Amino acid sequence: MTQSKQHHFSTVISAFAMAVIFSLITGTAWAKSEYNKVICRVETDRTVLPAGDSQTTILKITLDAPAAPIHIKRPAVNLSLVLDQSGSMNGTKIEKAKAAAIEALTRLGLQDIFSVVVYDTNVHTIVPAQNGGNIQHTINTIQQIRAGGSTALFGGVSQGAAEIRKNLESDFVHRIILLSDGLANVGPRMPDDLGRLGAALIKENISVTTIGVGTDYNEDLMAQLAQKSDGNVYFVESGIDLPRIFAAELGDVLNVVAKKVTITITLPDNVKPLNIIGREGRIRGNKVELYMNQLYGNQEKYALIEVTVPESKPGSRIKIARADVVYDNPFTHSREKSTGVSYASFSSDPKKVARSTNIDVVREYQLNLNAMAQEKAIKLSDKGKKKEAVQALKQSAARLKQIGTLYQDKEMLQEADAIETRADTIESQGMSKKSRKILRTKSYQMKNQQLSQ
Amino acid sequence: MVQGMKSRRSIIVFWALFLVPTLIIALIALQLLSHEQERINQSAINALSQRAKAVAQTIHITIETIQDNLQQSLLDIDQNRLETTLLIWEETNPLVRNIFIHRNQKLEYPVKGMESTSEERRFMERYDALFSGRVKFDFNSAPAKDFSVGSENKLQQLKKIGTFYTETAKYELVPKERRAASRKQLLSLSRVEKKKADRPSQAMGLNKPEQKLINRSGWIPWFSENRLHLLGWAQRQEKGAVYGIELELMSLLSRLIVDLPQISEQGTALVIMDGNGNFVHQSGRMIADKGAKPVKIISISDLLPHWRIAVFIDDRGFGATKGFLYVSMLLLGIFIVAIISGGVLLTRLTLSNMKDARQKTSFVSSVSHELKTPLTSIRMYAELLLSKRVTNEDKIQTYLSTIVNESGRLTRLINNVLDFGKLEQGSKKYQLENIDVDRFLKQIIQTHSIRIKSQNIEIKTLIEKGDYTIKTDKDALEQVTLNLLDNALKYAGQGKFLLFVLKKEIDFVILKICDDGPGIPKKHQDRIFEKFYRIDNSLTSQQPGSGLGLSIAKQIMNDLKGDLVFEPATPNGSCFIIRIKNHGTD
Repeated sequence: MTQSKQHHFSTVISAFAMAVIFSLITGTAWAKSEYNKVICRVETDRTVLPAGDSQTTILKITLDAPAAPIHIKRPAVNLSLVLDQSGSMNGTKIEKAKAAAIEALTRLGLQDIFSVVVYDTNVHTIVPAQNGGNIQHTINTIQQIRAGGSTALFGGVSQGAAEIRKNLESDFVHRIILLSDGLANVGPRMPDDLGRLGAALIKENISVTTIGVGTDYNEDLMAQLAQKSDGNVYFVESGIDLPRIFAAELGDVLNVVAKKVTITITLPDNVKPLNIIGREGRIRGNKVELYMNQLYGNQEKYALIEVTVPESKPGSRIKIARADVVYDNPFTHSREKSTGVSYASFSSDPKKVARSTNIDVVREYQLNLNAMAQEKAIKLSDKGKKKEAVQALKQSAARLKQIGTLYQDKEMLQEADAIETRADTIESQGMSKKSRKILRTKSYQMKNQQLSQ
Repeated sequence: MVQGMKSRRSIIVFWALFLVPTLIIALIALQLLSHEQERINQSAINALSQRAKAVAQTIHITIETIQDNLQQSLLDIDQNRLETTLLIWEETNPLVRNIFIHRNQKLEYPVKGMESTSEERRFMERYDALFSGRVKFDFNSAPAKDFSVGSENKLQQLKKIGTFYTETAKYELVPKERRAASRKQLLSLSRVEKKKADRPSQAMGLNKPEQKLINRSGWIPWFSENRLHLLGWAQRQEKGAVYGIELELMSLLSRLIVDLPQISEQGTALVIMDGNGNFVHQSGRMIADKGAKPVKIISISDLLPHWRIAVFIDDRGFGATKGFLYVSMLLLGIFIVAIISGGVLLTRLTLSNMKDARQKTSFVSSVSHELKTPLTSIRMYAELLLSKRVTNEDKIQTYLSTIVNESGRLTRLINNVLDFGKLEQGSKKYQLENIDVDRFLKQIIQTHSIRIKSQNIEIKTLIEKGDYTIKTDKDALEQVTLNLLDNALKYAGQGKFLLFVLKKEIDFVILKICDDGPGIPKKHQDRIFEKFYRIDNSLTSQQPGSGLGLSIAKQIMNDLKGDLVFEPATPNGSCFIIRIKNHGTD
């Protein structure tokens, strides 16, 4: 490249850069006015449906959470760390958990509130709910945690909730982070029971995030508790990963941009809801209602609903669904609304139909089905049907592969490979505790679109 | 021997008299102590049981209040907005798990099929018997609670809670205000509907006079799949809808256990168990598993059928009260040890006194015997000479020399006894003078040669060349030497020779007297210098003696800053070594 050419080139670049900067400034100005809006989109797996008989189609209601604004104080957090200090935690696990807890607390600000509850056979609140001021004293208290005793998990969560409740009325993001490495052996221990506790806690807008360490805890219980309370689920094999997980979780908690999110999907009279995929919700007549306790910044959350569309003529176009999202904006402290609508047209041309495929919806649908296949596999292997479990996983992998190849979708192909490998491992070594935990955690994270993993 | 047996018997009697009462006292004390400990343990159990009862009462009153409040709230719902109101309850109230409306023998809500959630489907399955009409809603109720006079009723209940607080305040570790606050929070959840809804519904009742207001309500503890569920129902009008809620037991439990007092004592635990014996909540650090046996079981409340509180306590739990037992046992132990050691001391004193007495008796008889023998000879020969019947000059000479010899022996014996007394009192006086031990030894040998030779013993001397003049007490030295010589002749009479060795050391002259007799058995070697000690201490022993000779000799040598030691000779016989200290020649 010659000197003159280079010079000419650089002027072009600088001009271009100027344009970009200008557009960025105007762009941010535009973005600033709109920063706090959650965008709601409603899509179908194909925008053009085959004309003719009544048919089933997939609806995807997507919530695009905006990034948290930089210049406005983030919403205050009311955090309760509930740590397992039973005998099995002894060693690296408890040390790393302590380090991770301390690391997490140092990231909280003065406006935040935190408490630390430890449990073994009994439950102790070692740091009652307090502001993020006197950190040093708290750190010393946490350092003194020693492992020993049984696992009163239910009591621990209950005590954590009691600490949260001290500031329940105020406008906080309420969160319990539960860490456990063993089977709950004092207090209720059925996954269903903990699920009910989670269901009660979310009514108070308290979410419980569960972190399972090692391979001896009850992943079903931990997943149920988190699922019913809309928290995150993590599985770490050793204590070494704990600081990373705590950091990721805290990243989520400190990044909440919407709270108490209710989604109401209204279908026209001739469109019938069939099934909600992967999430818990309620079908009431022609309405589908869903609830999420919070949205994190830059997160995309969605719900998948199977609906039947009535018989139709080619060329016709109908409204399929309307979604209304109502949520608390923690920055403006106001209740906000967002709406999305979806239409579908009908055609007798199969090519046109095929071309209209929304790969995004198809992918998420398939991945959710895959998550459900994983849960089915767990159920089967629990009943001792290892063969059928492997079969279910392999079938799911094959379908993912087929559809992935059809649409040339990397994510689906990757997941297909991962599931196939796992199926092979289970086939040769049986359903190990670790495999079961991975399946349970991954399927939950998929269904819940968990950001940090 | 007879005397020994007697004394042993008296010791046994003494010990029996002494030990038996001691042991009896100890046993009685132990029994009393363990009784007392038992009593203390029982009171620990009782105290813990009291706490368990207090917990059970708290749970009962809380649940009762919640149920009453919810029942009241159910009845207060505006009947025109029944479903909406109940749905809002379900969505927002953590105590409400499910809701239902049952009208005309049919379930109006939840609806079967797609429109119900999986939870609602399970709920309908659970209560199928009830919803399908097989079981009546009021099958378990005593006359339904009448809430028309409810306000008074409630007041009473609140009062009850108040008194309960003051009763249990001493057991509470959780600050009272906090407890009260969190419980108020819980109870406020159960007061859902305000009274204001009452008016329009009453008005509605008036509009339709055929529908009588009955205000019935109740709670059903329901067992399904071996688990307890609580269903509250209400019916305002006869033939009107029966509606109600299912209580979220886990939420209730979660809030209840936070308020229960913590137990900090070691080795104790209060455990709330559900109908299946599962541990629902534990307070206290004792590791109580399902196999452990509780000391007491208290049923919680008829509102939670089959739920119990188990009281556990183990040895560590009693440990706090065991201090009493340990201290008393320690005191008792010290008492017994003191008594026994006193007894041992007394026994030892008695034994040594008895030994002394025995030795003295044997000493007196030995000495009398010793005195008698030479005296008899002297008297016999003197009487023979006095009768003048012996005319042979040689015989007279022999008799006279025997008399002299025997009186010499008598003198030595008496000297020994006298010296023994002096030595015991420490009043023996020594007169130091210069003597030549060589000459002194030769003189003694010469004086006693006839006595020695008459026993067919050869005299050997081994004297190193040198000057043996030293300063010491000549008479004392002579007494020591003669004692040893007498012993040698007495006990080694069958021997062939007597060896006298003389040599010099710095400040000392060593005089060694050795025989080739039978020697001294090893076990006696250590004790031959004790006073009164004799190898054969019986009067019938072959050789008479007082048991004083060696003891006196050793003490004299020690007084003179020298020493007397025994050394076995090879292959047989004994040597006595006299170390004579030179007190400085003039």
